[in-house]
Amino acid sequence: MIFNSEISGQQQHTTSPVVTGGSVIALVYNGGVIVGTDTLCSYGSMATFKNVQKIAQISKNTIYASSGEFSDFQQVVKELAKIDRSALQYDDGVHPSPKDYGNFLARLSYKKRCKINPLYLQNVIAGFHNGERYLGLVDIYGTYLESNFITTGFASYFCKAIIANYWNENCTLDQAKQVIRECFKVLFCRDCRAHDVIQLAYVDAQGAHIEEPERVETKWDFNGFKSRANEKLHTQ
Amino acid sequence: MLKHLYDTDCVTWSPQGKLFQVDYAMEAVKQGSICLGLKSNDFVVLCSLKRQPSELAGYQEKQFKIDDHMAIAIAGLTADARVLCKYMRTECLEYKYTYESHHPVGRLVFKVAEKSQHKTQSGAKRPYGVGLLVAGIDPNGVHLFETCPSGNYYEYKCQAIGSRSQAARTYFESWFHLFEKSTLEQLILHGLSALKKAIMEDEELNEKNVEVGILGKNQKFIHLNAQELKDYIVKLETFNANTQIQQE
Repeated sequence: MIFNSEISGQQQHTTSPVVTGGSVIALVYNGGVIVGTDTLCSYGSMATFKNVQKIAQISKNTIYASSGEFSDFQQVVKELAKIDRSALQYDDGVHPSPKDYGNFLARLSYKKRCKINPLYLQNVIAGFHNGERYLGLVDIYGTYLESNFITTGFASYFCKAIIANYWNENCTLDQAKQVIRECFKVLFCRDCRAHDVIQLAYVDAQGAHIEEPERVETKWDFNGFKSRANEKLHTQ
Repeated sequence: MLKHLYDTDCVTWSPQGKLFQVDYAMEAVKQGSICLGLKSNDFVVLCSLKRQPSELAGYQEKQFKIDDHMAIAIAGLTADARVLCKYMRTECLEYKYTYESHHPVGRLVFKVAEKSQHKTQSGAKRPYGVGLLVAGIDPNGVHLFETCPSGNYYEYKCQAIGSRSQAARTYFESWFHLFEKSTLEQLILHGLSALKKAIMEDEELNEKNVEVGILGKNQKFIHLNAQELKDYIVKLETFNANTQIQQE
């Protein structure tokens, strides 16, 4: 197969993503910030890679997750890690704060958007710096927002009601975790590209903690399935 | 100065291991009028003596704001200082554009030092003929740096550069142990006292030839205006560093 770019040397532009990650839900709680994703990377409608870690630790007190094209996620992780490492050459002990990463990513995304070759991602950066919680969203266009809670993808449609009713910004870590688990339960039922294995990560005064993946609780033993009521209708 | 055999350009060492061109550039700094800086836990103060080329002319400014959290005082070739000032301002602007936060001070001084060093290792270039006192505030605290044409930089509690700066440094050596806990007013008066030691017998400090800039953790860089300078120069008459010791 010959691609156009090989013949004419044209720059290719990302028009649609290939391997994608699902929703990200992030909440602020009384001691820090928590981020949750599922562990699935889809290849279109096929659930190809089912055990993927989609939350990355960028620095001691910053974590990053995104939904969208997974190769772009991997590239962004490299770009952000580059900044942290290059801080070492100045020997001054000053490391970027979570907000610095958020703003940098916003500038990077905006630059790529202006060249009509975007990073196909909704990015979430979470951190804890100088006793303050930080949670930022950078979207595909380079829009930059700081907020107490962030949802990307389908979670923006299904989960905001759950978050509004059961979460507040001063809740405990366990309460926040329960809200996120509940959200992913709903997403698994309604979002075709969602998965029932999720991963939570939180940042507090002690630093970043990324937990082991866990399976959301699901219920399939409904009477309707057991007694197969519909089947009877069809065999008549 | 005696003429030396090995001083034609920067790319020639002398047998004693000196780069004479760099040393001569440092002399240019010593010819500039004095500027000094001193810091406490919360503030940095820069004081300079402005020169008037002739009676008809204005006084040459010696302190420049780089960003809200950073400022420099110069001694030496003003034209070279302008180049470095522009570079520092551009770097701060770019950093703010990308990260929405202030450029760490030590890091910018490092960049200036790297730029200066580059000029000392090239056949067709000459070193910058200016020394900077860089005052800045960042998450690491309150800073005062000195940069040299050689490309070296040092952090100081207080420092004076330029003509007759040794007199000011001697004053600092006696009193710098008080600076850490000084109030802003005491710090300014110490700076002006040191400046007074460095002027000639027939000169006097007035609001026209003195420039004072202050920078603090919650204070963006500002210059004292003419009235404030007048008031401080009056206070200077009765200021005695010994009284500060008695208070503590």
